Amino acid sequence: MSNRNPLVAALVLAVAIPALASAPAQASDEVRRSGSCTGSASVKIKAKHDDGRIELEAEVDSNRVGQRWRWVFRHNGYVSFTGRAITRAPSGSFEVERRAVNARGIDAFKFRAKHRASGQVCVVRVKL
Amino acid sequence: MGRSGWHLVKNPVVQFLATGLLTFAALLAGTGFYVQDAAGDEALLDAKAHTQLLAQSVAEPNIRRELLLGDVGATDKFDAFTTKYLKVGDVKRIKIWSANGTIVYSDETRLINRKFELGDEELEMLQTGGRRTDAELADLDSPENVYEDKSVEMVEVYTQIRAPDRQGELGKGPRLLFETYYSVEGIEERQAELIAPFQRITLGALGILVTVALVMLWILTRRVTRAAAERERLLRSAASASDAERRRIARDLHDGVVQDLAGSTFALSALAREASGGERDALLETEDSLRSSLRALRSLLVEIHPPGLSADSLPAALQDLIAPAQATGVRATVDVSGGRGATAETVALVWRVAQEAVRNTLRHARAAALSVVVRDQGGKVVLEVSDDGVGFDPAAVRPDVHYGLRGLDSLVRDSGGTLVVRSTPGAGTTVRLETRS
Repeated sequence: MSNRNPLVAALVLAVAIPALASAPAQASDEVRRSGSCTGSASVKIKAKHDDGRIELEAEVDSNRVGQRWRWVFRHNGYVSFTGRAITRAPSGSFEVERRAVNARGIDAFKFRAKHRASGQVCVVRVKL
Repeated sequence: MGRSGWHLVKNPVVQFLATGLLTFAALLAGTGFYVQDAAGDEALLDAKAHTQLLAQSVAEPNIRRELLLGDVGATDKFDAFTTKYLKVGDVKRIKIWSANGTIVYSDETRLINRKFELGDEELEMLQTGGRRTDAELADLDSPENVYEDKSVEMVEVYTQIRAPDRQGELGKGPRLLFETYYSVEGIEERQAELIAPFQRITLGALGILVTVALVMLWILTRRVTRAAAERERLLRSAASASDAERRRIARDLHDGVVQDLAGSTFALSALAREASGGERDALLETEDSLRSSLRALRSLLVEIHPPGLSADSLPAALQDLIAPAQATGVRATVDVSGGRGATAETVALVWRVAQEAVRNTLRHARAAALSVVVRDQGGKVVLEVSDDGVGFDPAAVRPDVHYGLRGLDSLVRDSGGTLVVRSTPGAGTTVRLETRS
C-alpha cells in the first residue's frame, strides 16, 4: 500500500476495514477481526479451530519496512505468547502465527503490538 | 529307498549337514522364545527410560507453577513446548496429573482440567515413586481414555515429577504424575529392531560354523576315503604279490625239490630191488621216509597254491585242505553240492576262506569234528566251515587271532559277498561266506 496519497489511502481503509470486520468466516468456524492502532498502522486477526487447538494469525501493517515491534498474545486474560517482530518488504508488515489450546467455554484472545520508537500501539480481539 | 539314496544317507557329510540343520532349527526355536521375551522386556525398558528422560530432563524444568492454577496462557506455552519437545518419537499421548486426579495438562486438550480417579499404582507412584518408572497396558475403556482410538492397544508409562515451589524453585513444589502412552505396535516394532541384530549375529555365526565344519568334514572324508582306497590297493597288491610268490615257490618246489625227491625215491626203490639183507631193509626204510616226505611236501604245495583250481577241482582241493586235520585224528568232512558254474575268482575266494577257516580250526579250536560245506543258495554260493571246538567270544577276540579272515573280509565285500564268523565259548565256530556265483 502506498502512502503517497493519504486521502486515497484513508478512503481505501475506510471502506476496507469495516468490510474486513464484517467479513464472514471463510472456513467453517474461522473468525476474522480487525483491530485498531494509534498511528497509521492497521492490525487484524484470524482464528479457527484446528485439531483440538485454536490457530491464530495476527498481522500488523505499518507501511514502514524495518520497524521493530513487540507483541503479546493473551488467552482469556493470561499471557500465552510474547515476541518481537520486524516489518518486512514489500508491504511493511509482520505476521504472527500461534496455536493455543482450546479451553473449556469461550476462548477470548487479545493481540497487542507496540512500536516503541513511534509509540504506536495496535490491539485486536477475537472470541471463538 | 534306493541304493543311491541309502548311500547318500550314510554319507557322513550329509549326516553332519542334517544334524547341523536340525540343531540350527532347534536353537532357533529354543532361543527364539527367550530372545523374544528378553527383547520385549528391553523394549519396555527403552520406553521407561525414554519417559524418565522426558519427565526429568524436559518436562519438569519447563513446567511453571501457573500450569497448576488454571492459567490458560501457561497451558498454551507448555502445549507449544510439548508439541516441539515432548511428543516425540513413539509417544502417542502425554498426561500430567496433579495429586487430586486433575489432568493439569494433556496434548489431548479436551482432557485439561478434567478430574478422574487415579488408580492405586498411580497414587503410589505420586506418593512414594521418587525417580521410579512403571508401565502397564492402558485400559482404553477407562474415562480418561475416552478420546483414544480403541482399536490401537497402548502401554502407559508413568513416573513422578515435581512442579516448582512458590518461589519458583524447580522440582521443589507439588508432586505430579507424568504419563506417556506408547502404542503396543510401536513397542513390538522396537522389540523386532532389538532382536534383528542378535538374530543376524547368532544365525551368521552358526552358519559360518556349520559351513567351516562342513568343509573340514568334507576334506577329512575325502582324505579318509582316499586312505581307505589306498589301503585297499595295498592290500590287493600284497595279496596279489603273495599269490604270485606262493605260485612261484610252489612251482619251484614242484619242478625242483619234488622232482629230485621223486627221482631219488625211484632210484632207492631200484637199488632196494637189487640189494639184499640188511642193506635192502635200510634202503626200503629210506625210500619210505622219502615217500612220506614227498607226500608232506605235495600237501604243503597244495596248501601254498592249489594247482589248476577251478569249480570242478574245488572238491578235491578242499579235500586236500582237510587232509592234515584227518591226519591229526579230527573227523573232517567235505560236502560240495554247489558252486558248479562259479567263476574262477569265486572259486578262489571260496578256497581261500576255507583254507583260512580250516587253518584256524587246526591252530586254535582243539576240535574233534570239522565240516566244510559248499552249496548254492538263492543264486549265491555259500561256504560254511564249522567245528565243535572251544570257540571264542567274537567281541573279545584278540587282533592277532583270525587276522587272516579279517584280512579277507575286504576281498569278500569287494566281491559283493558277506563273511560272518559266529562263535560262542565252548560251542564251536562257524565261518560263513556268501558270495555271488
